[in-house]
Amino acid sequence: MSFDAELIIVGGGLAGLSAGITATRLGINAILLERGEYSGSKNVSGGRIYVHSLVKLIPEALEEAPLEREIEKETFEFYCGEKKVTFSFEEKGKRNSFSVLRAKLDSWLAKRAEEAGLLISYSTLVLGAERESEGITLKTNRGQLTAPLVIDASGVTSVVFRSLGLRKFSPEKWMLGVKEVVKGQPTQGEARVIVGAVKGIKGGGFVYANRDTFSVGVTATYDSLPRAEVPAYDLVEKFRERVGVEGEVLEYSAHAIPYYGYGNLPSLTGRNLMAVGDSAGFLINDGFTIRGMDLAIASGMMAGIASKKVIDSGNFNDTSIYEALLRESFILRHLELAYNRFKLINSPHFLSSYPEILCQLLSDMFSVGEERRSLLEDTILRLKERGITIGRAIEDVWGFVR
Amino acid sequence: MIPLLKRLGLNSYDVDKSPHIEADTEKCVKCQEKPCIASCPAGTYERSPNGGIVVHYERCLECGGALVICPFNAIRFKFPKGGVKYKYG
Ligand SMILES: Cc1cc2nc3c(=O)[nH]c(=O)nc-3n(C[C@H](O)[C@H](O)[C@H](O)COP(=O)(O)OP(=O)(O)OC[C@H]3O[C@@H](n4cnc5c(N)ncnc54)[C@H](O)[C@@H]3O)c2cc1C
Ligand code: SF4
Repeated sequence: MSFDAELIIVGGGLAGLSAGITATRLGINAILLERGEYSGSKNVSGGRIYVHSLVKLIPEALEEAPLEREIEKETFEFYCGEKKVTFSFEEKGKRNSFSVLRAKLDSWLAKRAEEAGLLISYSTLVLGAERESEGITLKTNRGQLTAPLVIDASGVTSVVFRSLGLRKFSPEKWMLGVKEVVKGQPTQGEARVIVGAVKGIKGGGFVYANRDTFSVGVTATYDSLPRAEVPAYDLVEKFRERVGVEGEVLEYSAHAIPYYGYGNLPSLTGRNLMAVGDSAGFLINDGFTIRGMDLAIASGMMAGIASKKVIDSGNFNDTSIYEALLRESFILRHLELAYNRFKLINSPHFLSSYPEILCQLLSDMFSVGEERRSLLEDTILRLKERGITIGRAIEDVWGFVR
Repeated sequence: MIPLLKRLGLNSYDVDKSPHIEADTEKCVKCQEKPCIASCPAGTYERSPNGGIVVHYERCLECGGALVICPFNAIRFKFPKGGVKYKYG
């Protein structure tokens, strides 16, 4: 059987492109299929990238990549009705994370991939996959292609794994992310993370400062959407109003995000097959940050390296080398570390009760009347009001910092 | 590699059509709660007078939400013959 390529990559987001660049550099004959008209046309992201993986892939990235602003200020805001708790932290010159717009970043990376020799076929939608003649045949809107090795980088919909019966859609394992780009004049690179601004949703919001725009968005679990105070198409509008971002809306977009957590990760490999980025469920959402881009790039690079090893070995049934590389790397380690917090923010009251208790404590602290309790007394009282024992609270806080 | 591109019938930057969604109205069981309406960030679905849904294809952002939210798999990505151009980023 002759194959169309040694390796086919499905999806030209950050994960697929990173896999493609790495594999091509290692001399593999690879083709990448992307449904969009160009890379970045269909990718959505809040827009804060931790750059360590990108710099590993493209050492000149900090000078050459279309990054927006260096994040120098972090602000966390908890809303509880009329009250709000904010804390912020500033550190200049760290160059660890940047705001970014995906249409620019992905198409820049795609150009780098083509320069490295990767063949990219745009406007090509993979509709299904079948196992055939020792490889996988992909059905696309333009015809069929077969390869002995496939990397599924199609994002959360994991089209190849799904078509082969290795994944199912499960709404409780996905979140919706909605985002607007709003015209504005940021004075510095700032990342705001906001919890509790829209009632009823399990999730949070963010505002990132770009060069001359703001990225404003909300993420929410699908099961909480029907109970939210506004329908999904009004979420960002409502959120913007609450957090006070005004300006002309230049772009509106949305995307589903994986929400598995380390303990529920889906299958990462199969015969002739590897999953990278969102398709592998590599997303860290710990209540403070959403991190998928650095994991997408790094897992793509690892799948590229693994491809070379699998192709050299000639045994396409065994792709476990990829999982071994993931295990040695920061990817699975960071996902595992974040899992405690993931479980906590999924406990029914975590994102509502504790912020509200904190708001109440601060409100008591800054109000003066004849009644006054010590902070400890007040804490115990406020926890009690919500039916939380001291032991439980200590356990939760321990779980959060651990 | 060029013959392969030819086989796919494209040059790298072919931009005429765009993938989209397709609602299979046969599969839609007209759920009472209609998760697709509640969770679509683009307002693609509306209640129809007969209890089903009306689909405004041109609004879809291709976020993938309705694919997962519909318990009966009545919605899927599709490459439409007519080539409806998607609107947003
Ligand atoms: C609102 C929002 C905010 C976020 N904020 C952040 C953040 O601040 N920081 C961060 O690091 N991460 C963030 N993320 C997560 C991050 O965007 C993702 O983890 C990252 O985009 C994953 O990259 P990927 O390449 O795996 O998938 P994607 O970027 O989804 O790329 C998948 C590609 O595959 C293509 N494709 C899909 N199906 C097919 C098919 N059938 N045939 C052909 N091509 C196909 C798509 O067009 C797309 O180009 C956010 C996500 C959202 C939605
Ligand atoms: S994919 Fe997203 S935008 Fe399109 S119909 Fe489904 S939920 Fe709405």
